[in-house]
Amino acid sequence: MFSHVYLIYGFMVLGLVGMAQYRGWSMDSMNEVKNVPRSIRDNPGAYRSIYSSYHHYTGGK
Amino acid sequence: MSAGQPPLSTQPAKPQARALHCPQCGGAITLRSFQQAVTVVCENCHSILDAKDPTLKILQQFRAITGELKPLIPLGTRGKLRGTDYEVIGFQRRSIESDGVRYDWHEYLLFNPYKGFRYLSEYQGHWNDITVCKDLPVVRSAMVSSANYLGETYRHFQTADATTGYVIGEFPWQVRVGERAIVTDYVHPPHLLSCEAGSGETTWSVGEYIYPQEIWKAFNLPGKPPEPVGVFENQPAPSKVSVKQAFVAFLALSIFLLGMMALNDMIASKDPVFTSTYHLLPGTPKGETSFVTDVFELKGRPSNVEVKTSADVSNNWIYLNYALINQDTGRAWDFGREVSYYSGRDSDGSWTEGSRRDSVIVPSVPPGHYYLRIEPEADARHPLISYTVSVRRDVPVFKFYGYAWLALFLPVLYVMFKALSFERARWAESDHPITLQTESD
Repeated sequence: MFSHVYLIYGFMVLGLVGMAQYRGWSMDSMNEVKNVPRSIRDNPGAYRSIYSSYHHYTGGK
Repeated sequence: MSAGQPPLSTQPAKPQARALHCPQCGGAITLRSFQQAVTVVCENCHSILDAKDPTLKILQQFRAITGELKPLIPLGTRGKLRGTDYEVIGFQRRSIESDGVRYDWHEYLLFNPYKGFRYLSEYQGHWNDITVCKDLPVVRSAMVSSANYLGETYRHFQTADATTGYVIGEFPWQVRVGERAIVTDYVHPPHLLSCEAGSGETTWSVGEYIYPQEIWKAFNLPGKPPEPVGVFENQPAPSKVSVKQAFVAFLALSIFLLGMMALNDMIASKDPVFTSTYHLLPGTPKGETSFVTDVFELKGRPSNVEVKTSADVSNNWIYLNYALINQDTGRAWDFGREVSYYSGRDSDGSWTEGSRRDSVIVPSVPPGHYYLRIEPEADARHPLISYTVSVRRDVPVFKFYGYAWLALFLPVLYVMFKALSFERARWAESDHPITLQTESD
């Protein structure tokens, strides 16, 4: 019984991986923005990224 | 014989119990196994009588210290156990002592005039259906001894000195209270092989774990059987899943997953669509560094896009605010990446931290014309930093396979953990308990 349930579960996992790969899913964090004006190409500084002012690590050991 | 009891086997002559009287107290004695009984115990005065003697000579008299020990299956109860009619004719309590703790179990002697004797043993709600071995088991002594019986190997569980503490009913042997025997148990769940050595003879018996509900049904006993406590030595694992089966399935799925990974690596286009090197000049003021790349085309179905950054940083960092922007629709993916690399030497030797390379996957990007808006940042006193940005379309993400493998392994791990926990509980009371290394410290 377990083997059947496990195999079904396993193939679902494999199916999910196949779909993730085919559809191009990602696990990286990013923000999606819509309707970015065309003028950004001429004035890149006008774009405001939510990732600016990021607190950078400046350490080392 | 009490009314309402099921009749014994439908064999020729219907056996009748023989009524006698105890020479000690005059109480009624019923012999249910006829000529088979060697000793019979008076239920009133606990005299053990010689059943072979016409006058029922008294062999031993004992006092029931714990008072009347009531068998869960009363003597004289009849039932059909695994297709054969039996009557309960004897009951005894036996015990072993380990580390100053006494462990009691009970044995019920069943009789059928045509099939002979059979035993039921009960320990803390766990029952075994026991018969005398038809063949002599072969004992092998190794690190842990084992016994082979009818092609099955039984692993040594425990050897203990058992004492009979209470008897009632009749027995086909010279039973005595205080009688001692060396009992050696071997297990092969759900089977149990038991060797009893005492009074110059050795008896081998084989048992099979039997669920109490089956006994209650067979003997039509009122109420519910006592709940089993803990794990018994030959109790079958409650889960029908074997670790081996789970591993075989896991291995098959892992091979399948590996095949998928290799196939995906082969068919993924990994199409390089853009690459360029830039320089962040020393002292570049913050906020005025952003720029856009040339437009590049992403073809095919909606798929991922990999943006790789490599920078010649050394004991400093560069942070890049990225936006992958679709020139046609204005849709953008906004993300930030840091590339930092530090190295040095201290009392532990040389060390490094971070990496000069970074990679990020932008999900499900439709085909179209795109460009990157890049805004680099670095420390105020940074030197000249050169960095290369490259973009590839439709790349395999191996991380998925790692997580998938973990997802496949977790149920197997759970099965292993359950099985190990059960086996640890089983062997905890044996001569060979399973201990973890850390516990021995």
